[in-house]
Amino acid sequence: MKSGLKSEVFEKFAAAAGGIMNPSVAAWKQQGGKVMGYTCSFVPEELLIAAGLMPFRIRGTGGSQSAGQADDYFEAANICSSVRHCFNKVLLGEYAFIDGAVIGGGCDANRHILDNWQKSPVATPFLDRIFFPHSSHELAARYFRDQLAGLKVRLEAHFGVQITDQKLRDAINLCNETRDLQKELYAFRKLNNPPISGAETVAVMVAATSMPKAGYNADLKQLLSELRRTTVPDKIYKVRLMIVGPGHDESSICDIVESLGGLVVTDLTCFGAKAMFGRVRESGDDPLQAIADYQVLDRPFCPKNLGAHPHIHDEVFSNIRDFKVDGVIGQNFLCCDTWGGEIYILSKELKAAGVPMLRIEREYISDSTGQSQTRVQAFIETISGGV
Amino acid sequence: MINIFSQLLMQANKSLGGLCLDPQNASPGPFVLGNGDFFIEIPVAYGCSYSDLTLTGANGTARPEASELIDKAIGTGVESRMCTAIKVACYYLEAGLVRKPDLIITSNSCCDAMDTLGNLINGYAPWARVPRFNMDAPHSYDEASYAYFGKQLRQAVTFMEDVFGRKMDWDRLREVCVLSNKQDQLLLEFQELKKAVPCPANPDFSRLGFAYDRWTGERVSPEITGWLEQLVSASEERVKAGLGIEGINEKVRFLWQDLAGSWPPGALWTRLQKELGAVCIMDYMSYGTLTPVDLSSEEAMFTSFGKRFLLEDPMNRQALHTTDLFCNDILQIVKDFKCDAVIMPAHIGHRDTNSRMKIVREMCREKNIPCLVLGMDIWDKRYMTPEVVFDRIKTFFETVNLLG
Ligand code: SF4
Ligand code: SF4
Repeated sequence: MKSGLKSEVFEKFAAAAGGIMNPSVAAWKQQGGKVMGYTCSFVPEELLIAAGLMPFRIRGTGGSQSAGQADDYFEAANICSSVRHCFNKVLLGEYAFIDGAVIGGGCDANRHILDNWQKSPVATPFLDRIFFPHSSHELAARYFRDQLAGLKVRLEAHFGVQITDQKLRDAINLCNETRDLQKELYAFRKLNNPPISGAETVAVMVAATSMPKAGYNADLKQLLSELRRTTVPDKIYKVRLMIVGPGHDESSICDIVESLGGLVVTDLTCFGAKAMFGRVRESGDDPLQAIADYQVLDRPFCPKNLGAHPHIHDEVFSNIRDFKVDGVIGQNFLCCDTWGGEIYILSKELKAAGVPMLRIEREYISDSTGQSQTRVQAFIETISGGV
Repeated sequence: MINIFSQLLMQANKSLGGLCLDPQNASPGPFVLGNGDFFIEIPVAYGCSYSDLTLTGANGTARPEASELIDKAIGTGVESRMCTAIKVACYYLEAGLVRKPDLIITSNSCCDAMDTLGNLINGYAPWARVPRFNMDAPHSYDEASYAYFGKQLRQAVTFMEDVFGRKMDWDRLREVCVLSNKQDQLLLEFQELKKAVPCPANPDFSRLGFAYDRWTGERVSPEITGWLEQLVSASEERVKAGLGIEGINEKVRFLWQDLAGSWPPGALWTRLQKELGAVCIMDYMSYGTLTPVDLSSEEAMFTSFGKRFLLEDPMNRQALHTTDLFCNDILQIVKDFKCDAVIMPAHIGHRDTNSRMKIVREMCREKNIPCLVLGMDIWDKRYMTPEVVFDRIKTFFETVNLLG
């Protein structure tokens, strides 16, 4: 990612989002802190933070096109490369710094990471799972709460900590603050000339899952204040685009768009806007239920959830209005059934509404000189009237 | 004279033909559509139809015009590597070929592709006003999960009652459950008889019986009880006489650890039996671990529906849960049914199975169970043709010295 931002604090975010191990994690570990990996945005960071752990969302970024050793575990032709690359990093020892991992059962491939991890030579002291409900109703929210309660007990036993309601409330406040700050960041992108690009935003959002939260919030406040003071020269962008799909833990698609004179102004992706959606209820006498309600009832944006589509639809269309979006890039990784289906439904609806959409089915580690580049270029030219 | 097994086969096949699109669209009574299995006793007792669009799609791939149909389905533009059965179901939906339902019931069981079909049904614009009920099938099998899923099924009943303005007849539901308990018992008895060496009847009757019993127009009817009773008694006689499948010299017994799919039973298993004496003793849609529905109270009944759905429905059992359960079943089946080998078709749409291959391979190696992984499409015979699959299996059996 090329950045025009001259900001030390942004460099910190870029470093955290770039590789796997990063200076912020190293500093945390040096102080004796423990790190808990997790694989899906529905694993609530609040619970991990309340246990005194630093949540780190597992990514497979920064590798080659081959998922190497992981392809022995997951048949390459039929399994999403995001899962394979993430697990390959585990096998390669790049996650040796984590003290445990919680696998969220987002999809069929993702939930099998745990089984494979347990049988692999990688000895991680704490491995656990939670299953995210596939429907949004009150029974499901209660069932999810019970799962969280079970995980809480196991975390307490393994790490010798007590997760009190007060600690949960503090963690909820901290994560809500992150969401609020990230919303302020996104608000800049509604401007005709935002002080931050789409690719740079990806780095800031990914860093949230790769740094201790309190430090991240302090740094993000600093960045926001710098952005407020930044004067941005007038620039006419060829197109303002939105990205919808899974992951989005690296900026390759934004890089392509922005190198071609377009700008990515918003998204509905796991590391992006989905992560900062809404807030967890801070009142009430059961913080675990508040977390469960947030994940199951308030934020049903995962196409693995039956009935997610109307929410995704509304969110996409309100973003199109609010961020003055000219077109949407809907992407899914090959072999991802759920996002493949969702992008398909959305493409019909956007077409009916006259919103241009480009569908990209690709591998997780994208080849930026390849097919995606050509297709994005054609898409931008078509929208901007160049063709 | 046609022997009893041929008669039973004809009877089941005739009924299974009703699972294709046109007869499904012509189902009598209020039309409930889902993306997968439902606890079938409920619609049967309530007196409404239930059509599973996944099954309809899967049956489309068995039709003579399957290739054209699959090509059209690929053209719909859903995820390019998604299960072919689901692609066909999507095509039926998107082409406007499925009758508009009066009620939609979806759940995520048992795979990502079916979940996606559920979302496509829910997102299908012309049906935007059709009432719908979504259920969450958890990936766990414990009492809490059974109770949780059971409660959702109970809510589904209330929802149906509200939509159709008619109450469930609880005595009728109990009556249907008594009948289905009896049928399950007979399926288990037939399964037990398959343990005999040689196997007394085509083992595929388990799969056919399960499908006939739960999915066809005759669902849970006394007619099916009669069919199963005849199957069991004819098989018992052959076991007593030490006879195997008529006309087959059984040499190899293997586990096909996947769904049967639409083409392997006819185009592959029959040939393997005839030419090599290799008998597919068990597949993952036939393996029954059924316990009777507990009728002692409404709560107990729904909790046991939950258990049946999550753990005992063969497909859910294999696809929804952990690799440990999957592997333990393989070992149990190999032991109980005296299998000589395991074949992993590794259907291309199965994200779950394809995420387990290393563990399965290593387990088999450790236990000295010969194991072959194919990587085929069980719905589209053009992907890996029956001839190629046959040759690979034959070579495998030869290599591990099973053909004598
Ligand atoms: S991209 Fe799709 S298949 Fe891959 S991990 Fe995410 S949800 Fe699962
Ligand atoms: S992927 Fe498997 S379980 Fe899912 S619809 Fe296809 S055959 Fe059925």
